[in-house]
Amino acid sequence: MNFWFAVIRQTGRNLRQTWSSQVMTFLTVSLSVLIFAFFSLIYTNMIGAGDRLTDDLSLIVYLEDEPGEAMKEQLRRKILNFDEVEELRFISREEAYERFAKQLGENSDVLLDMPTDFLPASIEIVPLKSLRGYSQIKLFSEYLTSLPGTEKVQYGQEWIERFYHFVRLLTIVVILSGTLLILTATFMVAYTIRLTILGRQDELELLKLVGATNSYIQTPFLIEGILQGLMGSVIGLIALYGLFQWISTRFTGPGILNLFQFDFFSPLILIAIVLASISLCAFGSYTSIRKFLQI
Amino acid sequence: MEMEAQENTVQQKLSGNNMIEMIKVSRSYPPDIQALKDISFSVETGEMFFLIGRSGAGKTTLLKLICNMEMPTNGLIEVAGYNINSLKGKDLALLRQRIGVAYQDFKLLNDRTVAENIAIAMEVSYKKQRAIKQRVRDLLDQLQLTSKHDLLTGELSRGEQQRVTLARSVANSPRLILVDEPTGNLDSTTTEKVMDLLTRSNKAGATIVIATHDASIYENSNKRIMELRDGMIHSLVRGNTI
Repeated sequence: MNFWFAVIRQTGRNLRQTWSSQVMTFLTVSLSVLIFAFFSLIYTNMIGAGDRLTDDLSLIVYLEDEPGEAMKEQLRRKILNFDEVEELRFISREEAYERFAKQLGENSDVLLDMPTDFLPASIEIVPLKSLRGYSQIKLFSEYLTSLPGTEKVQYGQEWIERFYHFVRLLTIVVILSGTLLILTATFMVAYTIRLTILGRQDELELLKLVGATNSYIQTPFLIEGILQGLMGSVIGLIALYGLFQWISTRFTGPGILNLFQFDFFSPLILIAIVLASISLCAFGSYTSIRKFLQI
Repeated sequence: MEMEAQENTVQQKLSGNNMIEMIKVSRSYPPDIQALKDISFSVETGEMFFLIGRSGAGKTTLLKLICNMEMPTNGLIEVAGYNINSLKGKDLALLRQRIGVAYQDFKLLNDRTVAENIAIAMEVSYKKQRAIKQRVRDLLDQLQLTSKHDLLTGELSRGEQQRVTLARSVANSPRLILVDEPTGNLDSTTTEKVMDLLTRSNKAGATIVIATHDASIYENSNKRIMELRDGMIHSLVRGNTI
């Protein structure tokens, strides 16, 4: 008989002896992983959606007057002084009129009585992709507003602002739920291992007296924690995948979800979640071993 | 490799001259109970040694000190040349694998079968399953417990439990066997079987210390007998002289 055979048999005995609390812990770990992973999934998808949203982002600076060539150069210099941009284009009043007419299509005749210079001249700025964070855009917009001759800056701020507030709220939810669920899962595993240790005090004492090494006694408890982490996370993630599939099928067709491309976790993230769960449960188990298994 | 080397060292030391050395050992319990006082004696390797005395004389405490279940308040205890109180971790575990102890309170796992209880002593030293099964069968046969192989120890009588404890203590072929009141719950025929088993282990080279107040097992022997009274050595003589 070798070490691992003995240890695995001992782990089996532990699991059999405290199966009811093991089931409770297993369910807690699964549920914790499910809830945390659910919020994380929404969060990562929102971040993805945010990235896609800012792909088409451009700022429009409406000017009070049509700028001359010298003024255009000055403004361009001022803007580029603040930050590099991907694209910067001046739109004259006439060009704005033509665009508007094009947008109106068949209804463009409503503009017949309007002068061709009734729309303001503007500057269209596409910021660099790397500088499209909410705070950076806001800062850039404030700078543009402060430029002389600027009437108004538009970039769909209300929409973006709401979206980023929602993402911020979701970040807090993910962090809070993550912390709480990590604590719950770790505590539950530690508690179950503690129950097992206390329930088998006589046997553990005997094992010590007949010459069992520390690793012979401790390893089964550590394996128990690792198993809880592995099984709990795998089942939690399977449940999440089921939920994801159900939502994807249930909400096909026109609806809010179709505004976003909703993806499941990549295999790498799934492995990371399982490993994190295993580490936490092993840690819970280790703390109980240290505290209650005096060898 | 390292484990094997450690095991060889333990083995060599276990074959040395004195298996047990005790020098001025005392053990007291709070508030002011003196269980043992200034105990000094040695037991040679391969010797069968009797420890006698009335209940409360300190026999069980002495055995617990030898197997490191308890620590002395003062004094030095060496087992196979090792200061047993300074041993820790793997070293202590390896030495304990070589010491078989039959406890007065049995320390049996009542939710396990007789065979499992005996096997536990061999499992910790990773003996092969087949060898463990064979050894368990042999021991049960010697102690007339063959029919109890698959019974839970909680279902046995005290006498049977006592024999299972004894079987577990000798199962791993230890070099030192400590036995606390081995015949307390046994009839004369079973007592004889138990003593036969211990004598066989002794002849095979094991050092045996038997704590007892059953005079029938030592009165006709020529082994050394140490009597404890009120935690102190009252006499240390060879058998047939008391």
